[in-house]
Amino acid sequence: MKALDIIFGLALAIGGLLVPLSGDAYLMGLVFQLAMWIALAQSWSMLSSTTGYLSLGHAVFYGIGAYVCVLLTGVVPFGVALAAGAAASAVFAGLIGLPVLRVQGPYFVILTYGLAELVRNVVMRIESALGSFGRMIFMVPSFEVLVWCMVALGILATLGAAAVRHSALGAGLAAIRENEVAAETVGVPVARLKLLAFVASATIPGAVGGLALLRTGYFEPAQAFDPVISFTIVTMALVGGTETVRGPVLGALGFTLLSEALWSSLPQLYMIVLGLTLIAFILFVPRGLSGLADRALGRG
Amino acid sequence: MTDTLLTVHGLNTGYGAVQVLFDVAFGVRAGTVTTLVGANGAGKSTIMKTLAGLVAPRAGSLLYDGREIVGLASHERVDAGLCLIPEGRLVFPGMTVEQNLRLGAVSPKARSGHEEMLAEVYRRFPRLQERRRQLAGLMSGGEQQMLALGRGLMARPRLILMDEPTLGLAPVMVKQVFEIIRELRDAGFTILLAEQNARVALELADHAYLLENGRVGLSGTGQDLLEAPEVRRAYLGM
Repeated sequence: MKALDIIFGLALAIGGLLVPLSGDAYLMGLVFQLAMWIALAQSWSMLSSTTGYLSLGHAVFYGIGAYVCVLLTGVVPFGVALAAGAAASAVFAGLIGLPVLRVQGPYFVILTYGLAELVRNVVMRIESALGSFGRMIFMVPSFEVLVWCMVALGILATLGAAAVRHSALGAGLAAIRENEVAAETVGVPVARLKLLAFVASATIPGAVGGLALLRTGYFEPAQAFDPVISFTIVTMALVGGTETVRGPVLGALGFTLLSEALWSSLPQLYMIVLGLTLIAFILFVPRGLSGLADRALGRG
Repeated sequence: MTDTLLTVHGLNTGYGAVQVLFDVAFGVRAGTVTTLVGANGAGKSTIMKTLAGLVAPRAGSLLYDGREIVGLASHERVDAGLCLIPEGRLVFPGMTVEQNLRLGAVSPKARSGHEEMLAEVYRRFPRLQERRRQLAGLMSGGEQQMLALGRGLMARPRLILMDEPTLGLAPVMVKQVFEIIRELRDAGFTILLAEQNARVALELADHAYLLENGRVGLSGTGQDLLEAPEVRRAYLGM
């Protein structure tokens, strides 16, 4: 299974990097979406799948990254703007992390959602006070470059999630998920590790948000901080399965392809199908697509 | 007389508006078993949690190995060799026995040479080796207590804090746990034991303190307390 995972991952990565050479706009758009959701779901899993602290506010990191990146585009080189977006999200996570991570279970879910909404409204106020109701973005690199960058982020997030899981950090985070008090008593530096995971899970979404907004060429706060982004990330990660690094990739793949199929035929049903799928998976397939893959291949 | 490894002085602890410990003072000498006995709610677990750094004291000093540890985080205390085996055992239920044990050696000092320590824990608890692939949550209470102890030993502690290790165990397991505590002391560990099971705990104790409503009442050797009329009346039913 392990070898199969690596082959599958490599094939996806190479395929994604080759697509821009074809020049096919539809295919590039699809790969861009796919890589974006893989990067987001994988980042989310670094905190939420490992520790069980379910974030329902990851749109805030996407949005902050997008905002910073948009403000800097044209002022500094494109790569610097992206890195600044990622750094801004990481710093934000570092600042709010300690108090936020003191709250557990459903309270953490509600708090992260509320924080994301708060930041969204603050940015909307700032923008309207500045008299701007959306910003056009100029000097955007070619779409090919954006696709390459997004695929690179997807790869980076997947490698990062694998590294987190298979390190001492991952063992400590798993202990926190199992029993936080027990983790404390065996000497896991609980507060520090949670903060580390939180910052790690916030960083890549910052750059992803920047790229996504550069693609649309237009920044509008309500859209950059859209809570549906948070919901979709959680849905994909849960449907994919939280026990493996493979899970978020399968979840993102399944949902992106499903939405492609539905967009063209039944656009109104998209959200309904999303909801039904999530319910069905939570009730009947708790280990997600990843667990199904294990079973199909005669393991687990 | 051996050295004092832990000296607690003027300890006051509470939760919110409720004060639980009032000017608690006691000492633990290296290489001995010291027992805290007392009724439910007397403050035994709160002392343990304060020592492990899970609860912050309001006032007082905790001198461990000549060093003030108030203000140190839990993981720093573990690294210094002070390890709590928590009440209710708190094993990681979804992990295997071996994963539980390896996590016990998560502190920097314990990480090097944790393979030898694992072998040592398996030698001491053959039952854990037999079950090393089993999920900890599926084991019996007695086995989980052994696992919690083994996991604590993985941190190479000097002072082991045991909070109610026999809680909810069958009588035959209770006997076994006390046997293990005796063995650990003979192997050179220092043990602070909080126990409701007063008679057995006092028989084993080198030194003992009776805790009443958050204050230290009597103290003396285990034998002294066993013979004290107030202990006999209140805790031994005589």
